[in-house]
Amino acid sequence: MDILDTLNIAGSGLSAQRLRLQTIASNMANARTTRTDDGTPYQRRVPVFEALTIDPFGSDVERNIAQVEVSSVEAIDDYVEVYDPAHPDANEEGFVSFPDINILEEMVDMMTTSRTYESNLKVVDLTREMAMKAIELGR
Amino acid sequence: MVAGGSMSDFLFDRLYSGLNNVLDIRSQQHALSATNLANAETPGYKARFIPFEAVLEDAVMSNDSMAMNRTESAHFTGTGTVSNPQVEEIEAPPWAENGNSVFAEREMARLSSNSMLYGAVTRGLSTRLSILRYAASDGKG
Repeated sequence: MDILDTLNIAGSGLSAQRLRLQTIASNMANARTTRTDDGTPYQRRVPVFEALTIDPFGSDVERNIAQVEVSSVEAIDDYVEVYDPAHPDANEEGFVSFPDINILEEMVDMMTTSRTYESNLKVVDLTREMAMKAIELGR
Repeated sequence: MVAGGSMSDFLFDRLYSGLNNVLDIRSQQHALSATNLANAETPGYKARFIPFEAVLEDAVMSNDSMAMNRTESAHFTGTGTVSNPQVEEIEAPPWAENGNSVFAEREMARLSSNSMLYGAVTRGLSTRLSILRYAASDGKG
């Protein structure tokens, strides 16, 4: 375990949060999308995070040091039926299937994403600071 | 020459190795805090940390002749050793809906106090080395 591992961990956190922001942007942009390539409405995307141990056979500390990995981005198969007979994608009864996306929920997710991103950035800063202190030992 | 010790024992004594051990544990704790913050949104992840009070005592007093003796059986024995400290996990409170026990505030506080103390230890080591340099240059350094 060295200082680069710590930077990699913070880096994994940064990229995981950036990917989460992308899914949020995609969800918000497609909140009212009723047509995708296969003709179905857009499905809400949710990234799934997983802790990935760097060295599973190391010491107790090393076994507890883990990066974060986006193991998959799941599409949620949920729709909201809205009565709108004039809509081109309405069914015979006049209902349109919209993706089950709550803009407020996405906004809140966006805020926690940005906070988590910031805290990982702070780890990068502190790691660099500590490395500099170690380099200057004995000067 | 110190009786019963080699020259390197004399130059790099218990204080030196004690500070080195503390530096090691501080950087391990730093990696654990980084892990916690990276996994702040991972479902079911438990925040991890090194219980410092137990390990640090061992780190500074790792030399046998300076080992701490327990005078009272009820006193803590401490968990883990300097070279292999044990990690503890924090349980998630029942209201944490995704079972994650990372709290950003607590983790940021631990992160900055840890790196501040890391800085303090490097300062201590630097002072120790500059004392040696002073002595090695006949007090002219």
